[in-house]
Amino acid sequence: MSFTDFVNLLINGTVEGLLIALPALALTLVMGIARFPNAATGDYMTISAFAAVGVQALLPKSIVLAALGAVAAGIAIAVVFHLWVFRALQGRPLVASLVASIGIAFLARSVLTFFVGHDQQGFQLPLVRAWNFDGIRVLPTDLIVAGVAVAAMAALFAILHLTPIGRQMRAVADNPDLGRASGIRVRRVLTVLWAMVGTLCALGGLLFGAKAIVTPEFGWELLIPAFAAMIVGGIGSPVGAVVGGVLLGIAQELSVPFVGPSYKIAVAFGLLLLVLLVRPRGLFGVATAAR
Amino acid sequence: MASYLVAVAIVALIYMLLTVGLNLQYGYTGLINFGHVAFFAIGAYASALLTLKGWPLAPAFVVGMVVAGLAAYPVGLLSLRLSDDYLAVVTLGFAETVRLVIQEEKWLTRGVQGLPGIPRIFQSLGVGGYAELATLVTLVACNVAAVALLVHLVRSPYGRLIQAIRDDEVAVQALGKDPARLKVQVFMLGAALAGLAGAFYAHFITYISPDQFLSLVTFYVWIAVIIGGPGRTSGAVVGSLILMIFIEGSRFARDLIPGVSEVQMASVRLAIVGLALILFTIYLPQGIMGKRKV
Amino acid sequence: MKSITRRDFVAAGAGLAAASAVPGLALAQTGDTFRIGSLCPVTGGGSSYGAGMQKAIELAVTEVNAAGGAGGRKLAVFAEDGQTKPEAAVLAAKKLIEVNKVQAILGTWSSGVTLAVMPLTDAASIIQMNTSGAPAISTQDTKDLVWRFQATNDAIGAAFAAAAEKRGFKTAATMAFNNASGIGNTEGFKKAWTKKGGKVVGSVVYEPNRPSYRTELQQVLAQKPDVIVMGSYLPDSTIILREWYQTGQDVKWILPGWAANPELVKALGNEVVEGVIAVDTVSNENAASYKNLDVQYRKAMGKPISSNVYAAMTYDMAISLALAMEAAGPNATPLQVNAKLREVSNAPGVMVYSFAEGKKLLAQKQKINYQGASSRLDFDQYGDVSPDFGIYVIEKGQLVRRDVISI
Repeated sequence: MSFTDFVNLLINGTVEGLLIALPALALTLVMGIARFPNAATGDYMTISAFAAVGVQALLPKSIVLAALGAVAAGIAIAVVFHLWVFRALQGRPLVASLVASIGIAFLARSVLTFFVGHDQQGFQLPLVRAWNFDGIRVLPTDLIVAGVAVAAMAALFAILHLTPIGRQMRAVADNPDLGRASGIRVRRVLTVLWAMVGTLCALGGLLFGAKAIVTPEFGWELLIPAFAAMIVGGIGSPVGAVVGGVLLGIAQELSVPFVGPSYKIAVAFGLLLLVLLVRPRGLFGVATAAR
Repeated sequence: MASYLVAVAIVALIYMLLTVGLNLQYGYTGLINFGHVAFFAIGAYASALLTLKGWPLAPAFVVGMVVAGLAAYPVGLLSLRLSDDYLAVVTLGFAETVRLVIQEEKWLTRGVQGLPGIPRIFQSLGVGGYAELATLVTLVACNVAAVALLVHLVRSPYGRLIQAIRDDEVAVQALGKDPARLKVQVFMLGAALAGLAGAFYAHFITYISPDQFLSLVTFYVWIAVIIGGPGRTSGAVVGSLILMIFIEGSRFARDLIPGVSEVQMASVRLAIVGLALILFTIYLPQGIMGKRKV
Repeated sequence: MKSITRRDFVAAGAGLAAASAVPGLALAQTGDTFRIGSLCPVTGGGSSYGAGMQKAIELAVTEVNAAGGAGGRKLAVFAEDGQTKPEAAVLAAKKLIEVNKVQAILGTWSSGVTLAVMPLTDAASIIQMNTSGAPAISTQDTKDLVWRFQATNDAIGAAFAAAAEKRGFKTAATMAFNNASGIGNTEGFKKAWTKKGGKVVGSVVYEPNRPSYRTELQQVLAQKPDVIVMGSYLPDSTIILREWYQTGQDVKWILPGWAANPELVKALGNEVVEGVIAVDTVSNENAASYKNLDVQYRKAMGKPISSNVYAAMTYDMAISLALAMEAAGPNATPLQVNAKLREVSNAPGVMVYSFAEGKKLLAQKQKINYQGASSRLDFDQYGDVSPDFGIYVIEKGQLVRRDVISI
């Protein structure tokens, strides 16, 4: 493998990993605060991306409005299902919310396909060519993906650790009753939480659609890699979600010359397993009692 | 007509074996296994490959069960080290990896081309008619045996231990019993049942390929477990029957819902499943057959 | 909140079970109708074609019945959704065979479905007609009851090779979607290509549903082939072509027609797809049967028949079946009808383009040769047809046909 090939693989892996970073951020936020794996994350992304497609169908060439439409859709769907389903399941074991989230995923996707069908869609974006540095290729779109992912990570970290609402979220995560007792309005905090989740999912859907295509299945297909990224990076850590995603992406792509493009998926799982056995709390995770 | 119903019943009973196996793992020991389809696939391919090489069916079925059970051993060991949600992702990854191996190792499995011409069960009795009736009877017998075994297990001291592990693992350890060995054994038993279901499946459809063993199958079985009621064998039975009615019944429901095209029916099916999952978890978490909380 | 008792659930479940045990469809009459089962991929991977395929069968049946029926019988269609999944298709086929007592099952699309359904139709001694590509279908067809109206994977691959040869390419690389069809087509290409003396410089198989194929593409582009031949589908083709365009490397592309279609142009824009070569089975477009079907199909589906080459095939399935029934005479069994299929479809004979035409000539005891809407319909010893292939080039966003080749 030449140096150029190696660097290109590195870039490919990093970009794919960054695509995963946003749903991983959404997952890690929910895992950290609401303490369950939200299997509907992928379909929140799908719905948001389709919302953007819809806006572009009505107002062609509008990129900003489409993005805003996606974010609005993401927030709406995340908050609505929180109020209807997850709030009713508070206090129940984790499996209940997990299973309910699978139900939400199925329901959201089927309502979408009922009206819109199964055809692939795409965003109307200007065509770009990659910058070619003596064989090493970097795409402007990739830089945007990287920028948004890192910005989202920084914003999330800042909100969680530097703002009052973030402190309240973390308090509620540790002990909801104590939080309530000390005057935190838990309902408001959780609504804000899910609005953030919806925003992250919308951003993830937008970036994915810009890089690839938009189909009703794409969000669901991203769930496992996103989970893996979250776990490798450490549950509850925004930095971990991004680093985990990038690490898995790089490991995957670098393995292709050795195991082929089909088994690279298994390599990601292998790495995940290794991390879980050697360092169960992930790279940046905080050691908590129950794990 | 009768032959069609027999075929539907056969598929229902295959799902029932899968559900009983998963229910054993989750309902009794609380193991969250999202890789169930892997053992289904292993049983199917093991039995199909052997019979295509000329083996008689009965030993091939047994080998299918055994290989599936053995494949569960490393995963079972993992379940000791990992907590719930981690185990879910790892088992899912395991299932995907198994499917990838089946897909890629063409020298063994013919890869994506699949295995056509798998011998039928009771082929000496011809195709259809008596052969399928005999298959149905055998499946019923297997299910009854599996259920009986489980009920016996549940009532035995071993079974009480298994349930105790789900409720309070630390207490079990304090009693000097080793929950680890038991968890692994339970895991392997559930996987063996899935392997048996896989063997029946392969010899009923007579053509298997990797894309028939996607993780969606695992999710369907989970739905059956949840709806029927985890932790109760009657729940596994009822849950799988409801799943089957739903999957096959929607063929006939088409006429009941006017104005909906065929393509949209697929979306309606999935929507109903999703809605059912949500409503069951909120209002009926113990499932249909589960104990009501006092 | 009123709590629902367990009894209510079980009662509802039992009621539903009872309801689904009694089909809502009319029980088949025997004697003066010939019952056709339609098992098209209305949902699942083949769903873009399934509805049209089913409609085409219905159009053919209406046409035959309007001309007075075939072999003294009217045709009746019983439609089920194969869902593009073997297990679902097996149960649907059983229902069609056992409950509706069909005498032929038409329209299976994916190879997995056809392979799973074939043993059932063989056991029931009824006719099976499909549009699948897998080679195993020919070898498993031991009773000669299975008829393939689509080119085999090898034939499609050979068409790719002919297209590449015609354009003077010397070195080729392949990229295949990891399923039987994708791999079958590229393997068929490699066989035919190396026989022509061409070189295969790179070969990659990629997984479905990935957001990016840059690594796989990179592997192939590094060998600097003249042309890349793909066994692909629309979503992955979209991603791969876009990523290729972003590299700026000069290479030509040959794609199957179901991937390189107007949707691809819409997704990528004219500039990216300029010069992409598409190869697809071409319907028998000069035939009157094609033109007649196009008119009917447009009326029924709002789209031209050229948008669904498989629908032209299923139309032909029903028409050739009816002609064989007519040739076999009144009250013929499916096996007797089956024996007449080559007789009414293969050369030599008077070329006919519609059922009515054929029926008239059969009454005069003439040997006919039905020219279908989908192809000439000359069945070989395996019951496979060899349709012609069209080589299209995308120019300024339009698919322009440059050649028609026969394999």
